[in-house]
Amino acid sequence: MRRWKWLVILVLVLLVGAASAKKLSFVLDTTANRADEAQAIAAQLQKIGVDVQVRVWKSGVLSAAIKAGSRQAYTTDWGSAYFDPFDLGIPKLTTGGRGNYSFYSNAQVDKDFKIASTTTSDAPRAAAYEDAQQQVFKDAPWIFGYVLKNIEASSTAVQGWGPAADNSESLVGASVQGGNSLVVGMRTDQIITFDPAMYRDRDTEAVLRNMFDSLVTHTLAGKVVPQLATSWTKVNDKTYDFTLHSGVTFQNGDPLTAADVVFTFSRILTPGAVNGQTSPRAGLLGPIDHVEALDATHVRFVYKEPFPESLLLQALVHFQIVPKAYMEKVGVEGFKKAPIGSGPFQYERGSLDSQIVLKRYDGYWGGPAKLSQIVFRMMPEPSTRVAALLSGEVQIIQAVPPDLVSRLQSTSSVSVKTAEGTRAYQIELNNKVAPFNDVRVRQALNYAVDWNSILKNIYHGYGQRLATAFLPSGFGYDSSLKPYPYDPAKAKELLKQAGYDVNN
Amino acid sequence: MRLLKILERMLAAIPVALGVAVLAFLFLRFLPGDPVQIMLGDTKVSQQQVTALRHELNLDEPIGSQLVHFFGQLLHGQLGTSIIKDQSVSSLIGGALPATIELTLATVFVALLIALPVGILSALYQGSWLDRVVLSGALLGVSMPSFWFGLLLILLFAVEAHLLPTSGRISPTLLVERHTGFMLIDTLLAGNVRAFVDALKHLVLPALTLGVVFAAVLARVIRSSMIEALHRQYVTTARAKGVRERVVIIKHALRNALIPAVTVAGLQVGELLGGNMIVETIFAWPGVGRLVVNSIFARDYVVVQAAVMLYAITYVGVNLLVDVLYTVLNPRIVL
Repeated sequence: MRRWKWLVILVLVLLVGAASAKKLSFVLDTTANRADEAQAIAAQLQKIGVDVQVRVWKSGVLSAAIKAGSRQAYTTDWGSAYFDPFDLGIPKLTTGGRGNYSFYSNAQVDKDFKIASTTTSDAPRAAAYEDAQQQVFKDAPWIFGYVLKNIEASSTAVQGWGPAADNSESLVGASVQGGNSLVVGMRTDQIITFDPAMYRDRDTEAVLRNMFDSLVTHTLAGKVVPQLATSWTKVNDKTYDFTLHSGVTFQNGDPLTAADVVFTFSRILTPGAVNGQTSPRAGLLGPIDHVEALDATHVRFVYKEPFPESLLLQALVHFQIVPKAYMEKVGVEGFKKAPIGSGPFQYERGSLDSQIVLKRYDGYWGGPAKLSQIVFRMMPEPSTRVAALLSGEVQIIQAVPPDLVSRLQSTSSVSVKTAEGTRAYQIELNNKVAPFNDVRVRQALNYAVDWNSILKNIYHGYGQRLATAFLPSGFGYDSSLKPYPYDPAKAKELLKQAGYDVNN
Repeated sequence: MRLLKILERMLAAIPVALGVAVLAFLFLRFLPGDPVQIMLGDTKVSQQQVTALRHELNLDEPIGSQLVHFFGQLLHGQLGTSIIKDQSVSSLIGGALPATIELTLATVFVALLIALPVGILSALYQGSWLDRVVLSGALLGVSMPSFWFGLLLILLFAVEAHLLPTSGRISPTLLVERHTGFMLIDTLLAGNVRAFVDALKHLVLPALTLGVVFAAVLARVIRSSMIEALHRQYVTTARAKGVRERVVIIKHALRNALIPAVTVAGLQVGELLGGNMIVETIFAWPGVGRLVVNSIFARDYVVVQAAVMLYAITYVGVNLLVDVLYTVLNPRIVL
């Protein structure tokens, strides 16, 4: 009899305990490079009574699990090749979008994005993006994060160079005091190819843009300016005409004409056109139909659907023009061994996985570069890049980790420079399943994370908070929208409303 | 007779390599992660393009027929084309392998240079201060992480002392045309002595980083087997016959003591030939280790498959070499 009594009491105690201890608890998935950050966030959430378990994954494996919808919360990032939400907000937040890992869906936002990607005039596009930002901010599908600066460094002898938001290392105007050659320490272990149709990464592009010119290019701040094209006109919503510079020659002496431009784009747009392989770059151009020559110096871009001029221009920055006659003569394999472009520097020797030596092209249409030789050295380890800069072996290094900046700043022969980043970092939440199908819980987490302390302590102040998924450098950014403030009291209140227990 | 045996062992490596290839093929495809998605990155791509690319790479076929396709290509001597890198696998591996072999040979050289005298001396003066220093030094060498040691060497010899270059295989101004992929040989072929010296300088720090760890392992083995050999009766007999001490040590004791050392060295060399991803990354050394690890992360199936086969063949080859060395050291051992 006595035993029974105790057992009943025990069960009652447990039941009461379970009912009152309905704490919010979830697993936060991350990868090794952001594990410290995830741990810090878990500790912050712990303080208000949210149980977070951090799990570290290999990135390829994690992204597969995320896409399968089997995870709850995960650190992610997404880079933008345009200064426009066209390839950040749109793929990440459109219902069913390719990068929509939070399974977010809002009909109003979908409508806004449709307007923004098919309207050709600026005002309605900007208005649509602004409305989307307001909606997304309220819905809080993610714990909105931050954008990191591009930190690069150079010897103080280097002039006429600066880091760019799109990681391009344009060296046409660069010079070195007391020297005529320069070495760049690249962050990658190898670039992909010398064929401008067959890559997608920014590191390859950084090298290629010194060898090949495009129709238009970016200034360091991201403004589109003419390069091989002198001007362009919008014929109608689906048609744009470009006028080419006359007198431009490729590095083998051949003149650059409209035929080369058409050839460049048709080998990218036609499936299987590169030795039976399809270029991975076609998607960057949007719903394009074809490119045609009007005469020797005029090219026409024809779209299937209305397409904004600013998006076309920003895309064209990333397409290097190749010589038709030379490519047809030597073949793709021959071209990769001895690439020819119309840029300020010409391939001399080297290999993709160690170092690439380029020499000045004296016949460059924009006037010859100041340096007679530039070298891109592949140096994947950041500490090695820093050591090589300090020892004077290289004059410019990419991707300086924030924790090594102070070491460089204490050296007078070196200067650290930054550019705006174009990659958004955040924690995405699976909006489809509990507990994150409740907007109050998602908002609460946005109030509960103290990003400023994380950016200060882990990223040494080289990051900037984002209010939503839109970058300040992008078109249509709503600067009136301020990020969720750090407000644990508000977070607790929202969690209580959603039926969770919190710490007092 | 011995040649026949060696040939037989070499042929036996083929089924091993094929078996390993099948296993690698299957394991890779059961790993989560899609090479096409990784390759296309973040930017806007239609599902249609993804499907087309997957078809182009034969990734939409069932695994069975992908396997048949793979072996069909292999029979024609083709290893395929990298999904990610726009290059044939044979040129990728062929490009990276000489760099790794060159570094491995330099590492073995450094290791022997340190381990042989150190191991022998500490065995001869067992229990002395020298022996104790060697033992603790060896322990330090084994337990030192290579990324830390490598960076330390860079800071010391390149940044502070300006004696050696930080990384890479040769200075850009001295880069010679590629014939063999071995920088030391290519610079000699070009008749450029300055370039040869420059390439040699570039080899020192990575070879030292790997060689010190290797030497630490080897010195301990040589020490213990030397101590054992020195206590054997044939050494006492040799001394009793009045053979000079140096000959006793080198010819009678060391020769026998080397058999366990060769075994250990063989295993280490097999591993070194696979490339050391960490050291290759720190020293910007374009070798096999970096290529393979990055290919695994990118799910670049074809490269990983070929590399795994190469690893299998390398191990079988190195083991065979070790066995042959046994017979040289002790003629009573037969293959």
